[in-house]
Amino acid sequence: MTKDFHDMEMRFVYGETLHELIEQNPNVMCLEADLSKASGTNPTLPSRHPANFLNVGVAEANMISIAAGLASEGKVPFCASFTCFASRRVYDQITISVAYANMNVKIVGTSPGVTAGPNGGTHMCFQDLAIMRAMPNMHVYSPCDALELRSVLRYMASTRQPTYMQLVRHQVAKIFDAEYAFNPDRAVLLREGRDVTLVSTGYMTQFALPLADELRQAGVSVELLHYPSVKPFDAAALVASAQKTRAVVTVENQSILGGLGGAVCEILSEQCPTRVVRLGVPNEFGEVASEQYLFDKHGFGPAHIAAACRRLAAEKG
Amino acid sequence: MEPTATTPAIFDREEFDRLAAEWRYIITDMICRAGSGHLGGALSLVEVVMTLYWRIMRTDPANPRWDERDRLVLSKGHGAPVLYVALASRGFFPPAWLGTLNADGTRLPSHADARYVPGIDMTTGSLGQGLSCACGAAYAARLDGKQHRVFCIIGDGESNEGQIWEAALFAGHHKLDNLIAITDYNKLQIDGFTSDLLSLEPLLDKWRAFGWEVFEMDGHDWDAIYDTLQAALAVRGKPTMVIAHTIKAKGCCVVENKAESHNIKVPDQATYDRFMNALETKAVLPY
Repeated sequence: MTKDFHDMEMRFVYGETLHELIEQNPNVMCLEADLSKASGTNPTLPSRHPANFLNVGVAEANMISIAAGLASEGKVPFCASFTCFASRRVYDQITISVAYANMNVKIVGTSPGVTAGPNGGTHMCFQDLAIMRAMPNMHVYSPCDALELRSVLRYMASTRQPTYMQLVRHQVAKIFDAEYAFNPDRAVLLREGRDVTLVSTGYMTQFALPLADELRQAGVSVELLHYPSVKPFDAAALVASAQKTRAVVTVENQSILGGLGGAVCEILSEQCPTRVVRLGVPNEFGEVASEQYLFDKHGFGPAHIAAACRRLAAEKG
Repeated sequence: MEPTATTPAIFDREEFDRLAAEWRYIITDMICRAGSGHLGGALSLVEVVMTLYWRIMRTDPANPRWDERDRLVLSKGHGAPVLYVALASRGFFPPAWLGTLNADGTRLPSHADARYVPGIDMTTGSLGQGLSCACGAAYAARLDGKQHRVFCIIGDGESNEGQIWEAALFAGHHKLDNLIAITDYNKLQIDGFTSDLLSLEPLLDKWRAFGWEVFEMDGHDWDAIYDTLQAALAVRGKPTMVIAHTIKAKGCCVVENKAESHNIKVPDQATYDRFMNALETKAVLPY
């Protein structure tokens, strides 16, 4: 009987999938900076593949540049840390050692956005999608469920592409089944609709999907586009949907500056000027708080998404 | 046919002295022609880099990515001009390229770039990162049971960077004895003497304390460089740091041992003449 990955915490899906990838390709490596238990790779990786597991200690900058050196010798290193340390702390190392040098390094930012809750403002990173998206050569992914995560990881291991991926650590709702295959050039049309286009990525898609169904029951036809890849970004799918609905709501577990909402506005303003409402964190830092508190404070929880969709649909008359 | 695995050259002191003077002339002209550039930290490395490429490292210019080659990471990537001259001298690319340093569309950018330059093993330029990259390359080689060595040249100013010491911890902990680092200890950085800005002393003790074997040498003395690097290659069970005592901008007397040599500006012919006339020996430019 196959394991049901949807019943697992995402971090353990990450560890288990890395284990499988190493079995298939011994050049795949797991790098950690003293957060291996938090990333879900310990004890799976060090016990099963000690030669493929490298824990560099609390030295994220070193980890990224070491990974570039490993990649220069044909290794395929996956480097994990909390998003705050995996992105903004090592932005120059990723920029120069990885993206500019075009090294095949995979960076995994764990506990994105509000999911860093108990660690609070210092550890809560709302910028990683934006700053990684702004980097040439870099692919930026944010899978929404366990099977999409597995498909994304398999894709990452099979390509020679500097990549940043967000990893929610805890269990999330099931969206996809086993037939799903990740394609970074394609948005996933989860629900067809005609009144409003709802664009989501990563953690927020599990909230957006039931909402779209509820709104349909209530007479608002929502087209839900899920973007597992924020870069590359499937502009064609967005433009086609916006031409149909003429109203777009974006939602992301991030700052509304420069991430998914930013990408949507950049594309639509040039290719299909459309009314857009961006939901996410405004220009503010995080704080130690529950997810619900932060959703309410910043206005991007399920109720806010629904309200924005209704509002835009009503505006159209 | 076996690749040209072992380098070369029968050492001839007069010939090496002549070549070193020629390299200094070419490097200075390359930088002056470009209008500006990192002169001091390229000239301080001439003897070290020449010894590496002509007497120590196993490379194959006809096959720059030869898997068994020794690697060199110039972590102080701004020293690239001396590396370019070395690679051109070994035939990795046509010497005519040297005249294009920093020119629009050049393959020889100011900082060492593995994407465009045959023979460059790692793209560098943001200080502090190259030693970590070299650690990764050395770690990979050991994992795969490969016998090549990884050399890495860092700057003394660069050693202000915290990441250098992260890499020092890592290499010491993992006993990376296929890693040989060299500090270009010319005692100067952009804003002045290292001893005034942020003292590195006692530098040998620091590296020893991080678990490295440490040597020091006169970085302009052919015999000292060769003998020390041979001794470094014989070290087992730990990484090696070779502190090379050097003179910044050596050979260009108007800026020799001066911080202003770090990045010279050459706005006009008179400045060009001033730098070129400061070199003892003239040479024929290969471009």
